[in-house]
Amino acid sequence: MIDVVFSAQLALAAIAAGAIYALVATGLNLVYGTLRLLNIAHGDFVMIGAYLAFWVFTLFDFGPALSLPLSVITGILLGLVTYKGLVSTLTQHSAHTDRLESNSLLAFFGISIVLQNGAALLFTNNIRAYRYFDQVITLGTMSITGNRLLTLVISTFLALATAAYLRFTLFGLATRAVIQNRDASSIVGINLPRIYLVSLCFGFSLACVSGVLVSMMEPISPIMGFGYGIPAFVIIMLGGLGNLFGGITAAFALGVVETYGLALAGSNYRSLLVYGIFILVMILRPEGLFGKSQAAR
Amino acid sequence: MSTLWSSRTLLASAATLAFMASLPLWGDDPAIGVGINLLVWVALSASWIVFSGLTGYISLGHAVFYGIGGYVTALLWLSVPMWASVAAGGVAAALLALVAGYPCLRVRGPYFVMLTFGLSQFVKFVVIEIETALQIGGRLIIGAPPLDIIYWLFLAMATGAVVLLAVIRYSRFGSGLRAIREDEVAAETIGIPTVKYKALAFAISAIIPGLVGGIMLMRSGYLEPDTIFDPTVSLTMICIAVIGGGNTPATALLGSLLLVGLSETLWVRFPLVYMILLGCLLVTFVLAVPQGLLGLLAQWRHRLHRRGEK
Repeated sequence: MIDVVFSAQLALAAIAAGAIYALVATGLNLVYGTLRLLNIAHGDFVMIGAYLAFWVFTLFDFGPALSLPLSVITGILLGLVTYKGLVSTLTQHSAHTDRLESNSLLAFFGISIVLQNGAALLFTNNIRAYRYFDQVITLGTMSITGNRLLTLVISTFLALATAAYLRFTLFGLATRAVIQNRDASSIVGINLPRIYLVSLCFGFSLACVSGVLVSMMEPISPIMGFGYGIPAFVIIMLGGLGNLFGGITAAFALGVVETYGLALAGSNYRSLLVYGIFILVMILRPEGLFGKSQAAR
Repeated sequence: MSTLWSSRTLLASAATLAFMASLPLWGDDPAIGVGINLLVWVALSASWIVFSGLTGYISLGHAVFYGIGGYVTALLWLSVPMWASVAAGGVAAALLALVAGYPCLRVRGPYFVMLTFGLSQFVKFVVIEIETALQIGGRLIIGAPPLDIIYWLFLAMATGAVVLLAVIRYSRFGSGLRAIREDEVAAETIGIPTVKYKALAFAISAIIPGLVGGIMLMRSGYLEPDTIFDPTVSLTMICIAVIGGGNTPATALLGSLLLVGLSETLWVRFPLVYMILLGCLLVTFVLAVPQGLLGLLAQWRHRLHRRGEK
């Protein structure tokens, strides 16, 4: 038991879990940070990406080389539809704006129900999986399946790319300004609707891409979204809502806690552990581990 | 206030109540089943409105109170009198709401909403783990009362929930809750004990769902943690309130009528289509008809009235 806990193997597993969480949570955080919309359906976009990859692989025998770009396009389309149908309605009607956050929650709750049951209707409730690139690769004392390594590499690259985009491009700078203070950025001439649209598409694409990566390793089902959406919420609460870099740190922290917790307690307790951490975080530090106290809203 | 207690409203309520109470005397079992369905949703949604409708704090997890009521009833079944095991379910739900609500309600807005969802899922998985550890696949409930008695119990629950909502809404306590909904900081400033009020309303709104969960257990005769803690229960309560519009007893009645009509026609044959439709209705009403059916009716009546004047 003890040597399992201290093995490099488990550490690698924790990092791999953290990397995929970081990717899912960054998308959720980007949407919350800029639009102040809590997207409960975020996990279901992961599910859409996973089904996309599954069908691309089963029907056309293509791996992530095709499904990754397709998932980005899907994410952008979903972002466009959401922006047209939901965001413009929610932000324009004056009756909505004072209850924007609860209304967006309810609307996304409805979307989540539609997506989950739509997927069950189209693809049945059967749990599906496919094998892709699952030979074991040995690195010194650690061994890892190829698809897990690929996931680790791609999600690290994407997290870094997102960070670079926000840090070094003008549009990224504008996005961070909107996250910090919406009204002030509007006054200095930042085009808010454009930032909203791009952030939605970016965030949804990240979710769909995560779905493609996840589908190589985990079984796929219409309700799999909860398994990623809820941890993503835990992470962005821990890292501070809208704080992207805090979120990435928190993602790896959750990856470590979950991997080690399950190694010690057994994998039956995954849901219990994730929801338990979720409740504790929400009650003890809703402003996040790195956040300033801003819970009173 | 005058519209609620007007003699016409009272008369209509009494007639509805008498009609509903007489249903088991002339209706067959399927009709009683539809009646139960309607009463359950009126009871649950009116309870949900007592807290979420009045305070504006949306609870995505009210299914947990329904579930815990059913579970406690199942645990105590036959070891105490029947009524006591159902009552214990209601008490357990209220206690859970108090214990969970006090810390939860210090956080506001979206945090609270997410918390209620997390909490209900957490309790569900705890119960599932306990049942798995005890190696019990499901619990059989033997010796439940006949269908018409169960029907009248549900009728009592629905009536209780509607009266509770009407009384609280127009009380000093209810005004406090609505002040919290409009502006919590201002409400606190003028001396409303907001945390105490919210926790109390949360606990009150949990009692009837807890009792309904226990009675529902007697009806189904079988406990399965997965189904009794089903998040769909929470979803349906919310849909009824959002579609009905506003926060009055009429909201719960109108919304339940619509949803039960929908579920009676669709749920059995096309459960997935029904769920998709429910989701679409929720999105549509939140985005396009935030005033709900009641608001629409009021607008139409207003328009007809004005046309009549010309």
